Amino acid sequence: MRIDPNIPDPDGFYAALVAAHQGLTEAQSAELNAKLVLLLANQLGDQGTLLDCIEAAVVSSNGSAARSSP
Amino acid sequence: MTHSSQQGGSGGYELPVYPFVPPPELARGTQGRYSIVIVGGGLSGLTLACDLSQRGIDSVVLDEDDTIGVRGASSRGICYAQKTLEIFARLGVFERMREKGVTWSVGKTLAGHDVVYTFNLQPASASEQPPFINLQQFYVEWFLVDRIRELGRCDLRWKNKVISVAQTDDEVTATVETPAGRYRLTADWLVDATGVNSGIRQGFGLDPHTSRIADRWCITDVRFKEKFPVERWTWVEAPFNENRAVWQHPMADDVWRLDYQMPSDCDPDYVSRRDVAEDRLRAHLGDIGFELVWVGPYEYRDHLLDEFRHGRVFFIGDAAHVVSPFGARGGNSGVQDADNLGWKLAVVLLKQAPVRLLETYDAERRAAAKENLQVASRTARFLAPQSEGERTLRRAAIDLARNYPFARPLVNTGRMSVANPYPESPAVEGAGWSLPNVPLTLPDGSRSDLVTLARSTGTSFVGILYAPAREEDVSGIASLEANGVPFRFFVCGAGGLGDPSGKLAEALRVAAGGFALIRPDLYLAAVVPNANESNVRRVLSKALCLEAERDKT
Repeated sequence: MRIDPNIPDPDGFYAALVAAHQGLTEAQSAELNAKLVLLLANQLGDQGTLLDCIEAAVVSSNGSAARSSP
Repeated sequence: MTHSSQQGGSGGYELPVYPFVPPPELARGTQGRYSIVIVGGGLSGLTLACDLSQRGIDSVVLDEDDTIGVRGASSRGICYAQKTLEIFARLGVFERMREKGVTWSVGKTLAGHDVVYTFNLQPASASEQPPFINLQQFYVEWFLVDRIRELGRCDLRWKNKVISVAQTDDEVTATVETPAGRYRLTADWLVDATGVNSGIRQGFGLDPHTSRIADRWCITDVRFKEKFPVERWTWVEAPFNENRAVWQHPMADDVWRLDYQMPSDCDPDYVSRRDVAEDRLRAHLGDIGFELVWVGPYEYRDHLLDEFRHGRVFFIGDAAHVVSPFGARGGNSGVQDADNLGWKLAVVLLKQAPVRLLETYDAERRAAAKENLQVASRTARFLAPQSEGERTLRRAAIDLARNYPFARPLVNTGRMSVANPYPESPAVEGAGWSLPNVPLTLPDGSRSDLVTLARSTGTSFVGILYAPAREEDVSGIASLEANGVPFRFFVCGAGGLGDPSGKLAEALRVAAGGFALIRPDLYLAAVVPNANESNVRRVLSKALCLEAERDKT
């Protein structure tokens, strides 16, 4: 899993992502994200990298949950 | 699967009844001592009895009932996978299955009105047997009983219920209850094929680690004349079942297995009521005439025994492992357990291999069961999402699958039973996969196939050397046939076996000068490049566990 910046236009990508979520309910956003994950996973196509990314996301989520608790 | 109930009598099936015959222990007071006693005359027990009979080995089968199937109910297994069909071809029951059953190879997965995933197993099949035959399980058991009787090697004892089993280092003793009274018999080896609720397993205090899955289904076997596609259809979300899953499978006698996922909190008595079942059928099938054969609500569970051998007792089939029904990995793996154990018991009883060969049964079949459990559990999880997040992920996969091919393999309504490979087995070397029943020609030029070749050798390993090879290597390897070693040697090439389709070489993955060692269960034990007497002797010893002690040092 690479962790150095690799997105050519970070702001442009982020703006497109936000625009895609514009006006969606929470459920619709969740569904959009789920589809995006699956589409992106297929672009990667490397099992080891995919599992590393899942692991990194889980660790990151646990970390933010810990931070938000008093 | 458990918690099935029966409705509508025998569903229009006429099943045989086998009479109780007082066993010699009770009729004549003889002391019963046997090499192999199999408890349970279901699919896996009968397969083992038939396999041993075919190998010329005597056995006793004890079954508490006096017929096959579950008292006329047509539930239980319906899909017989290619490896199972190849085993049944070797045992001599395949032709009857083919005539009676429904041959198929195409599966479709639907969501709403769209087909989102299709597989066809036929194009990639190299076997003389089809990918699948669907047939009510009791027919298969019936054919096995007929074949066992024909072979005349097995003492099939109906209405013989085993009530306890005890063992010492030297023998196993079973206490058996019959209509004529109680008796005991002893055996060198006892095989528990009594199924999911094995009392033998419980008697030994062995924990199968049962877990229940909160997902309810209702099987509805129904007879109708309309021609539906002879394919496996599975709906992840069926509009006619409140967007829950539905299975549609053909069987023999114009009967279809329709299986409906129910709400997990449903009342099993209500969902299986005749009028409720008929309403469900009308919503599914439309306005056609049908006859309800059998309705059975069930929830599934899984379990996996820690060890498939306990002293002189072996566990096969559901007694050892149970998985969710998706992918037909229950009955098929029970048949493969029997296929794996049969030849090993035979060569050990014939003193052609040491007792430690039997340990590889656990090593190979428990690994297979573990794999089946994982595969079937993943399907079960896809079919019963356990959170809103999981449901969202599944919806995303299904939606994408409608338009994008990449997402179709994510839609999981069952990964069909395969012959599990045994890469970790101590008795294989760099191989361990099952060989399809490929066509070949015999040295006299006649057409044959791998199953027939293996069957003609009795219980022997089949060695195939690929030409060209040095004459001294050919004669050296051929010399290994002597001294009671269960080994038959063939050369593939001019004057030997022929491989006109190239399928044999493809299955063996062997090149010129290479040697393939094929086990009696048609698993590939080893491939040896640049074969000679010395390296072939070594892999043969390993496959029979003759040199296990030396390997350890």
